[in-house]
Amino acid sequence: MKSLALKTLAGCLCFALASSACVKKSSDAAGPREGRTLQIAVIPKGTTHEFWKSIHAGAIEAARELGVEVIWKGPQKEDDRAQQITVVEDFISRGVDGIVLAPLDDRALMRPVQDAVRERIPVVIIDSSLQGSDFTSYVATDNYKGGVLAARRLGQLLGGRGRIFLIRYQEGSASTVQRETGFYDTVKKEFPDLVLLVQDQYAGATTETAYQLAENLISRFPDVEGVFAPNESSTFGTLRALQESRLAGKVVFVGFDSSPKLVQGLRDGHIQGLVVQNPRKMGYLGVKTMVAHLRGETVEKVIDTGVVLATADNMDDPAIKSLLSPDLSKIID
Amino acid sequence: MSRQRPAGLQKALNVLGPFIGLALVIALFALIPEVQGRFLRFANFKSVATQSVIVALGALGMTFIIVSGGIDLSAASNIALSSVITAYAINAGAAPLVAVLLGVLTGGLVGLANGALVTRLRLIPFIVTLGMMGIARGAAKWIAGNQKIDAPMTWANEFMARSPRPSWLLLAPGVWIVILLAVAMAVVLRYTVFGRHVFAIGSNESAARLCGIRTSRVKILVYSVAGLFCGLSGVMEFSRLTVGDPTVAVGLELDIIAAVVIGGGSLNGGEGSILGTMVGVMIMSFLRNGCTMMGWPNYIQEIIIGAIIVIAVTLDRLRHRGE
Repeated sequence: MKSLALKTLAGCLCFALASSACVKKSSDAAGPREGRTLQIAVIPKGTTHEFWKSIHAGAIEAARELGVEVIWKGPQKEDDRAQQITVVEDFISRGVDGIVLAPLDDRALMRPVQDAVRERIPVVIIDSSLQGSDFTSYVATDNYKGGVLAARRLGQLLGGRGRIFLIRYQEGSASTVQRETGFYDTVKKEFPDLVLLVQDQYAGATTETAYQLAENLISRFPDVEGVFAPNESSTFGTLRALQESRLAGKVVFVGFDSSPKLVQGLRDGHIQGLVVQNPRKMGYLGVKTMVAHLRGETVEKVIDTGVVLATADNMDDPAIKSLLSPDLSKIID
Repeated sequence: MSRQRPAGLQKALNVLGPFIGLALVIALFALIPEVQGRFLRFANFKSVATQSVIVALGALGMTFIIVSGGIDLSAASNIALSSVITAYAINAGAAPLVAVLLGVLTGGLVGLANGALVTRLRLIPFIVTLGMMGIARGAAKWIAGNQKIDAPMTWANEFMARSPRPSWLLLAPGVWIVILLAVAMAVVLRYTVFGRHVFAIGSNESAARLCGIRTSRVKILVYSVAGLFCGLSGVMEFSRLTVGDPTVAVGLELDIIAAVVIGGGSLNGGEGSILGTMVGVMIMSFLRNGCTMMGWPNYIQEIIIGAIIVIAVTLDRLRHRGE
């Protein structure tokens, strides 16, 4: 029986080796070839969040416009660094023409990106930065600028003086730290009369933890006049806490990112401003930059996809509205 | 256990089952024209082998535990804890060799604790290791200060390099380590007194005890060895990520258990083989690799692997009805 097992195994191996030997000739010519559709792998951090769906939509738009094929594939578990490495490796094995990657970790994804470049597969980084300089281009939101916009909105509405909270998101999260730094620097430089009651408290990863932090802060400083929160979950958690303590609308509140609940908060006057990114443009420009590079054009090393401030006044402008509540149904089926 | 005639055919099927599965998976992707040429390349086998190392090491230990009739739900948390300890030690200025040993030992200690609790407190392994799953994960986050640990690059990061430094190695050093350990463990499980005791305990623990086997001692050893494997797996995880990440490998214990079960291990104990387990690991890795190369969405992959687990366990039950 054991010999049977061995025979089968040997059979499989022979089969595998034989077939690999046959096909080797035909597939040795890697890299872009004339007359063939370019294949671009787009690897997000996860696949279920709205943000990534917008990036997907943008990537598809670019693919349709430029006549290339986009393969969309995230790590099997959201936010799993090890699995994202696996996905990058598998696309290197497949021999795609280019990889557009939103790295889950600025360090852990360095080696797979090096591997890709060694196999002559260029990589464009989107959304979050990567250490080193192996990649072709970095296409992302200027997060620091987002923090600056938020600080100016808050400062203007408070007339340059008041007591405010800077709620931080999480230690080690590069993009939100940049937003917080942008906010902090601008407050110190342009609005010296704003008093930061709190500036080193972390909301944590979920809405629930942000909610608890905001509740505790409000009960300790009930006379707060302004609040800034640096991402979707901390903004929503803070919004809930303000609503529960009947301070919503009385406190000037500026948040980051968008969701249906936050848009409603903006409409109800509970939120005075939301800094929104443009993920669709990020997906679009990520693929477009890659294709330009593959077609031999020179591309910028850093590309800013822009941030805008949405307020109750401009939230119904078509351009802002498409950022606040993107309609992706036409693009992703 | 006995090799009786009537069970012969069935047994052959049991042994062959996983191989047939592996052949089917490879054939499936080998026949799809889109990835055919790329899927069967040596470079791809190399990366699948490297991707399998972490689960394979965990599964080597898990095979012993499952054969002995136990279960270890803390395996993945143990891997995360060991990888964090390794990164921490390197960051603290320890020599890479010391850090690697510390990582492996950490895993062994967690395993020893599991074994001691199971035998001394007479709790079922499911509960003990469920608790340890939380404890090890929490400890990992605590030591890492709730974030990943960036450690400087050392030779410890070469274990899992896709292109090994002395290129005559062909495969990443981690893959060779797995192959050597798998052969060693297969011999231990089949041909040593200890291995036979593990089977005996898994088949019928009280009978084994009445036969004079020191069941507690064997079980503590089994959990400790499995812990050491998780520790080594954690070192490999660190080597691969180049950072110590306390949130890594969440849910990986289920992949590890699935590999053992697909490879013919029985959750009732008394059955399983190292060869089968390794084939189980390869089946899942090839599936994941093929699905990614095809660009199929993750849910398809999850459904396929889920279905394979159910089929494998169905076979397991049919086998028991047959006996």
